[in-house]
Amino acid sequence: MASSQHVLLSPAELAYLHDSLSLTPPIRPDGRSPAQFRPLVAETGILPGTNGSARICFADGTEAIVGVKAEVERTAQRAGDDTVYLEGGEGDEEDVEDGEAREGEDKRKGDSAWVEMTVEIPGLRDDDSGTAFLAAMLSEALLADGEFAKRLWINRRFHWKLYLDIILISPPLSYPLPLLSLTTHLALLSTRLPRLKSEGDEDPFFDDDWAAAPYLFPRTPTTTTTIATTARPPITLLVMAVGNNIIFDPSKEELAVADVALAVSVTGSTAAPHADDAEPEPGRSLRLLSIRTIDPPSRLTPPGVANAANSAYGAAGTQKMLEAATAEVEAVEGVWKAPRGGAKRVVLGALVQKVLERGGVVDEVLDALEGVDLG
Amino acid sequence: MYLKTGVTPSASGSAYLEIETSAKPGVSGMKLSCSVHGPRALPRSAPFSPHVVLSTHVKYAPFATTQRRGYLRDPSERDLGIHLEAALRGAIIADRWPKSGVDIIISIVEGDQDRETSRSQGDEVWDMMNALSGCITVAAAALADAGIDCVDTVAGGVAALVQAAGDDSKPSIVVDPIPSEHEKILAACCIAYLPTRDEVTNLWFRGDLPASELELYTHMVEKGILASRNANRVLIDCLRETVE
Repeated sequence: MASSQHVLLSPAELAYLHDSLSLTPPIRPDGRSPAQFRPLVAETGILPGTNGSARICFADGTEAIVGVKAEVERTAQRAGDDTVYLEGGEGDEEDVEDGEAREGEDKRKGDSAWVEMTVEIPGLRDDDSGTAFLAAMLSEALLADGEFAKRLWINRRFHWKLYLDIILISPPLSYPLPLLSLTTHLALLSTRLPRLKSEGDEDPFFDDDWAAAPYLFPRTPTTTTTIATTARPPITLLVMAVGNNIIFDPSKEELAVADVALAVSVTGSTAAPHADDAEPEPGRSLRLLSIRTIDPPSRLTPPGVANAANSAYGAAGTQKMLEAATAEVEAVEGVWKAPRGGAKRVVLGALVQKVLERGGVVDEVLDALEGVDLG
Repeated sequence: MYLKTGVTPSASGSAYLEIETSAKPGVSGMKLSCSVHGPRALPRSAPFSPHVVLSTHVKYAPFATTQRRGYLRDPSERDLGIHLEAALRGAIIADRWPKSGVDIIISIVEGDQDRETSRSQGDEVWDMMNALSGCITVAAAALADAGIDCVDTVAGGVAALVQAAGDDSKPSIVVDPIPSEHEKILAACCIAYLPTRDEVTNLWFRGDLPASELELYTHMVEKGILASRNANRVLIDCLRETVE
């Protein structure tokens, strides 16, 4: 798995890194503040043959490309509530009435099978579990609220099938999750589907003017319920805890000393300011979509040996060897030991709370991504 | 819940778990079988590892679910394998076996699905959470049977935020949900928990919760821990029985 790749740091280096990251405030090897992201370069619309595409390059040299392709697909018909039976005259009339009665209702349906996501990471096999895990995590966030698949609905007989292909074009220098997630977010923002010209349940017929094609995630607020909102695709952030500190967007070395690492997917929707609104909601409202524990590679790091137990150090050689049990349990200051066990639930709670904080990192990242020119 | 260890003689540790969901006909509950091989020496070509190398395989039997599964592991099964690995890695004292590997193989003989009702949307996802919690519990039992040192017995539990039929009813949190019994599942979380250390080794949450309702999330985690405590009690009883 990508997160558990071996890090070439000695136990002494790991101990040093762990100590400096548990200080208040923590000192990160690259001088960032705990909630600061790595600087990045982003552009969209780089692949003319796709419905939407994006490229993001992090300052550490990792780079990813996402291409979104859409195809029209026939919806598999299943007998259900909304099946229209063509035979039987009486039933037909009822259906017409029923259809009129439900005019205002949202008839669109979605299926998670309409989105297919593949992740490719150089140096990893196609059938590697790590890439399957990453793809599952990203598509899970996208489909969690069930609203996204509804956007792909054309009519009762047809839907869009969306293929999201995520390719990391640099070697995985750090755990690529935040990079892939941000690139996917941008690609989805820039995705446009041809404008539908046909009506009702006809075979779909599209406008061939690409300039008229609407965005999958519209710029202008759409009135779905009572308040006008603009929904945005989700982003997945990598958060880790060392001691009492919470650190965002860890690099590979920082992840190697993590006590616990979480991938948290959130989405933000901005409520448009209403003129006569009773309580204008400032900023965007965040929604929590999914959380996954990432197996921190710190569990695979080699342990250090304390001087007292090391026969290579003069005085210790004459001493009796420590009991195996005490040597294993006792923590010696400055000697690295791979963490054991899990995380306290207080820590997990604090991590999630920190991510969902109003005006926190998520807001910052979403604002920055909003600023990218969609071409 | 029925748990038995030592069912596969050729493996160094094994366990079998059966979870009965309800007395409803057509619903069979979940049947899982787990075998643990190792710890054994890594092949000569493998790089040095200061810890035990854990590899987990989760596979649905082709006939386990309403929709037939192939013989090759599909992405969702690989995904389950990674979740299981994360849950177990926290529990195993890995540095006692350098240069060795442990294989954990779980086959889900029967998935927990209602055959009577037609497939409703998104049900498989919630079934996966139940399957994962079963996998964690059965793997912990098999690890204990194999005599592999763990800091504690880990067990899985699921809690879900469900909405009953009717639009304006208040969502409630249930422990050990049966997806087909509820009108709509808003969110669910699966937790792997070490009771004596009071630590969570794996947390998998999925759903749609507004950030303002963080207490709901906290409650769900609490309930998930409760569910895993219950599973852990069965696990301890089973292990004690084996010892006596």
